Amino acid sequence: MKVFLAALLFAALAAVGVSFVLNTIQEPSSVAFTTGGARVGDPGNNLVGPG
Amino acid sequence: MALALCAGVALLLVLAHPAAAQVSFKPTAESVHEDQLLNALKEGGKITGRISIPDQMAASLIQPAGRDWRDFHRSKLPVIGGIAIIGMFVGLAIFMMVRGRIRIHDGFAGTKILRFASFERFTHWLTASCFIVLALSGLNISFGRILILPLFGAEAFSTLSAYAKFAHNYLAFPFMLGLVIMFAIWVRDNIPGKLDLEWLKQGGGLLAKGRHPPAKRFNAGQKGIFWIVIIGGSLMSLSGWFMLFPYLPANVTALQLWTVTHAVIAMLFIAAMLAHIYIGSIGMEGAFDAMAAGEVDLNWAKEHHSLWVEEEQAKGHVPSGSAPRAVPAE
Repeated sequence: MKVFLAALLFAALAAVGVSFVLNTIQEPSSVAFTTGGARVGDPGNNLVGPG
Repeated sequence: MALALCAGVALLLVLAHPAAAQVSFKPTAESVHEDQLLNALKEGGKITGRISIPDQMAASLIQPAGRDWRDFHRSKLPVIGGIAIIGMFVGLAIFMMVRGRIRIHDGFAGTKILRFASFERFTHWLTASCFIVLALSGLNISFGRILILPLFGAEAFSTLSAYAKFAHNYLAFPFMLGLVIMFAIWVRDNIPGKLDLEWLKQGGGLLAKGRHPPAKRFNAGQKGIFWIVIIGGSLMSLSGWFMLFPYLPANVTALQLWTVTHAVIAMLFIAAMLAHIYIGSIGMEGAFDAMAAGEVDLNWAKEHHSLWVEEEQAKGHVPSGSAPRAVPAE
């Protein structure tokens, strides 16, 4: 059981670590695929918005 | 006066060369003809334009292969996945009804033998736990719209899918780490040999009660699972990288190919793991102990891995005199 829990904990910690690394080296699509003139004002929400 | 002079010169030119007075620019001369479009839209072709944004892939205006790709994901893939996964469930249910739980023929010996060390079990559970989340979050992409959306509504399904996608992306990395370690620690015991052919000929002893073909540390069935995990997992990892970093392989056509590869292998992978989970838990008495506590009953080991037990006894890892003690089956 200890080994199982240790594996779960390690997986979770590794995933969190990877999330930081990926977020550092990857650009949001609003930056990577547009120019400054075409960027939306609120990246993360689409142009339609929550309605 | 000057204006009249110019008009006179122009009139002379018109009279001398009537054609020069006509407009020489033909707006349709350089336009795309229909046959050109049809040629461009043949298999593998696409129509592109000019753009000024950084994403040059956005210059693709029409790519008919995209329609085939979308059609595959929306109609064919759920069928393939449904047949593979539901078919495996049905097959296992029939097997369980016909064969029943595979018991230890001579009963529990009461003596334990170490089957998997802590690090091996850690690696197994690391890979397995990540795989379960990856499988469920991946199945959500193919079946969530059909199965979960009607149950929980659009808002909840959207939130669930977003978090599932994050979990899928991030847990893929410890899964890949688990694959690498698994390969390193178990490949030596999973090289196929002649003994495996004999094991397969006898159906692994699964079909007839009391018959157990000899096997070393891993039998042919377990070796099959090992290579499914290693090869299937490697292909899933490679295709996953190409999906995490789009257009890394080449272009949108290559990306579509890798997404199809990822999806099809995932369905088959999940189906295969269902069989592994079944036989490693409720399907076979004493099997789960190997990955739970790391130790298995000596009679279980002798029945399913007789040659491995002899090797362990020769190494002095288990008392050679510990004869199996017959215990009535539960």
